[in-house]
Amino acid sequence: MERTDRGYVGVKSTVNRVCAEVVESESLPGEHHRLLLRAPAIAGDAVPGQFIHVWCHPPEDIAQPPSAAILRRPYSISRVRLPDGIEVLLRVRGTGGTMLARTQPGAFLDVLGPLGRGFHASESVCTVVVVAGGIGLAPAPFLVETLAPQVDKVILLAGAAADESIPYRVDRGASYPATIPSLAALGAEVVFCSEKTDNLLVGDLLERRLSEFDQTSTEIMAIGPRAMLKRVAGMIGSRFRLWVSLEERMACGVGACRSCVVPVRYDDGAYKTVCREGPVFDAAEIDWERLDP
Amino acid sequence: MKNPVMVASGIFGYGDEFRGLADYGELGALVLKTITKRPRAGNPPACRTAETPAGLVNAIGLENVGLDVFLAEKLPKALEYGTNIVASIAGDTAEEFSHCARALDDSAVAAVEINISCPNVKKGGMAFGVDPDSSAEVVSAVRAATTKPIVAKLTPNITDIAPVATACQSAGADAVSLTNTFSAMVIDVERRCPLLAAGTGGLSGPAIRPAAVYRVYSVARAVTIPVIGMGGIWNANDALEFILAGASAVQIGTVLYADPAAGNRILAGIGSYCERHGLQTLASIVGSARLL
Repeated sequence: MERTDRGYVGVKSTVNRVCAEVVESESLPGEHHRLLLRAPAIAGDAVPGQFIHVWCHPPEDIAQPPSAAILRRPYSISRVRLPDGIEVLLRVRGTGGTMLARTQPGAFLDVLGPLGRGFHASESVCTVVVVAGGIGLAPAPFLVETLAPQVDKVILLAGAAADESIPYRVDRGASYPATIPSLAALGAEVVFCSEKTDNLLVGDLLERRLSEFDQTSTEIMAIGPRAMLKRVAGMIGSRFRLWVSLEERMACGVGACRSCVVPVRYDDGAYKTVCREGPVFDAAEIDWERLDP
Repeated sequence: MKNPVMVASGIFGYGDEFRGLADYGELGALVLKTITKRPRAGNPPACRTAETPAGLVNAIGLENVGLDVFLAEKLPKALEYGTNIVASIAGDTAEEFSHCARALDDSAVAAVEINISCPNVKKGGMAFGVDPDSSAEVVSAVRAATTKPIVAKLTPNITDIAPVATACQSAGADAVSLTNTFSAMVIDVERRCPLLAAGTGGLSGPAIRPAAVYRVYSVARAVTIPVIGMGGIWNANDALEFILAGASAVQIGTVLYADPAAGNRILAGIGSYCERHGLQTLASIVGSARLL
C-alpha cells in the first residue's frame, strides 16, 4: 500500500479472485444477514471502506448463464477477523441479497476483492468522527476497530430509521443518548439516534456536536444515504477534512465499464468511478451540485 | 490470431483494469474501449446500467480518454498482455473516424474496429450503421487512412443487417463483427420514468444470444470476408453456436463481469470440443450449420 499525493491509500494494481468458504451465516434484525467468509488474501490486504464483489450463484455454476443476478453484487467489508476471515452485512432483498442470505456454512462463494480505495486517517489527526446512517453502519465496525489504535479518540455518530432497522442491539438504558454496545466495545464513543424514537437524523447529531471538535486535528468520515452525505458535506464545507463513501450502481467493480461514475470538481466535466477511484473520496473533490440526489 | 476467442470492446475498458484476474494474453485478441478523437464525458452519471433477465442494459455514452491519452498511456499498458490489441474507434463524422485510424496506423495495434453504431451528427444523430451508404462512407474513409486490417462492427438495430455487411465489404472492410447491443429500455414503475439517465440503452448478455446467432448466420451467407460473432456468449457451447453459424472468431463481453476468466474457460472448452469431434482446425466447421 502506498500513499498517493492526494492522501489516498493506493490500491494494489491487481485484484484477488478467491473461492471463499462460508464459515458463518446468520440472520440479523432489520432484514439483515451476516456472512463470515474465509478469504485470507482479502483479509490480509483490506482497508476499511473497501468492498468485495460477490457472484451470488454457486462457483461451480459459473459456466451456465443465470437468468437473474447476472452481475456480481458489491458489499463493503464489515469486519476483518484475522488471520483469514472477512465479514459482510447484507440486506435480504433483491435477487442477489436473497440468494446470498440462503448460503450455509461450508458453501463457497466466488469473490473479488478487496476493491476500491478505503478510509485512512491523515497522520496529524487526533480525533475521527464517523458519521454512519442506515446501511452505512455495515462498514462501521471495521472502520472503528482500525482507527481506535491509530488515533486518540473515535466518535461514532450513528442513525437509522428505527432501532429495529439496524443489525445491532441498541441500548437506550435510562439516560440519553442511546448507544450500540457492540460497536462501543470496538473502541469508540457511540451515539445512536433513530428517526422513529428520537425524531432525529444522524446529521442532527453531527450538527449539535460540531463546535466541540478542533479543526486542525479532527477528520470526519461519513457513510450512508446520498441525502445524508449531501447534508454533511454542506454542513462541513471546508471547516474539516471530510471523507465520504459513495454508493452507485455498479457492473464490473474494477473501473472498466464506467457505470458507477460520480462528478468531480476539477477537469471540467470529468467523472470518477466509485468502484476503483472510490468508494471513499475526499468530499472536496466531489461536485455536490452535479451529484444526483 | 493464435485462437478465435477475443474480448469485445467496451466491457474490458482499456485492459489494465482487469489485470491479474486471468491470463488475457492467452486470448486471440483484446478489443479495447471505443475511443474518439477527443475525450468524451459520456452520458449523465445517475444511472448508466441496469440488470435485466439474463441481460445488461448500458448507456455509458462512449465516455473515453480520447485518442492522445489512448496512444500515450492506455495502449502501451494493454500491449503488455502480449497478444493482439485491437483499437475500437468512433466519431461524429467520417472525418473523425479517419483521423483516429490515421493516428493508429503507426501504432502497434493489430487491427482497427470501426464502431459504426454511434450517431452520425451530419445525419441528425442517426447511427452510421443503420444505413448501407453511411456505413460504406465510414469504412471507405478509414480504409484510405490506414493499412491496418479493419473490422466493421455492425448494429443489429436495423431490419436487414446483410446489406450493411456487404456495403462494408465493398468499401474495404477486412472483416465484420456483430452484433453490437440491441436498443433497449427499462422503466422504473415507481417513479414512472426510464431507469437509465439517458432514457435508452443497449442490451447485451445471454438474452440476446439467439438473436445475434441468427444475424451472424444471415451475414455469413452474404459476405466473403471473415465474420466475428458476439452477443451473450457465456460458455464454449455458445461460442460454437456462433462458429457453426458462420463466425470465424468470437468476442465475449458481459460474461467477463461474472467470470473474468471466461475467455480462457471458453477457449479450453472449444479445445475439448475439437478433440471430442476429431477436428484438426476449427475452420473446418465455420458456417457448417445447415438446415437438416
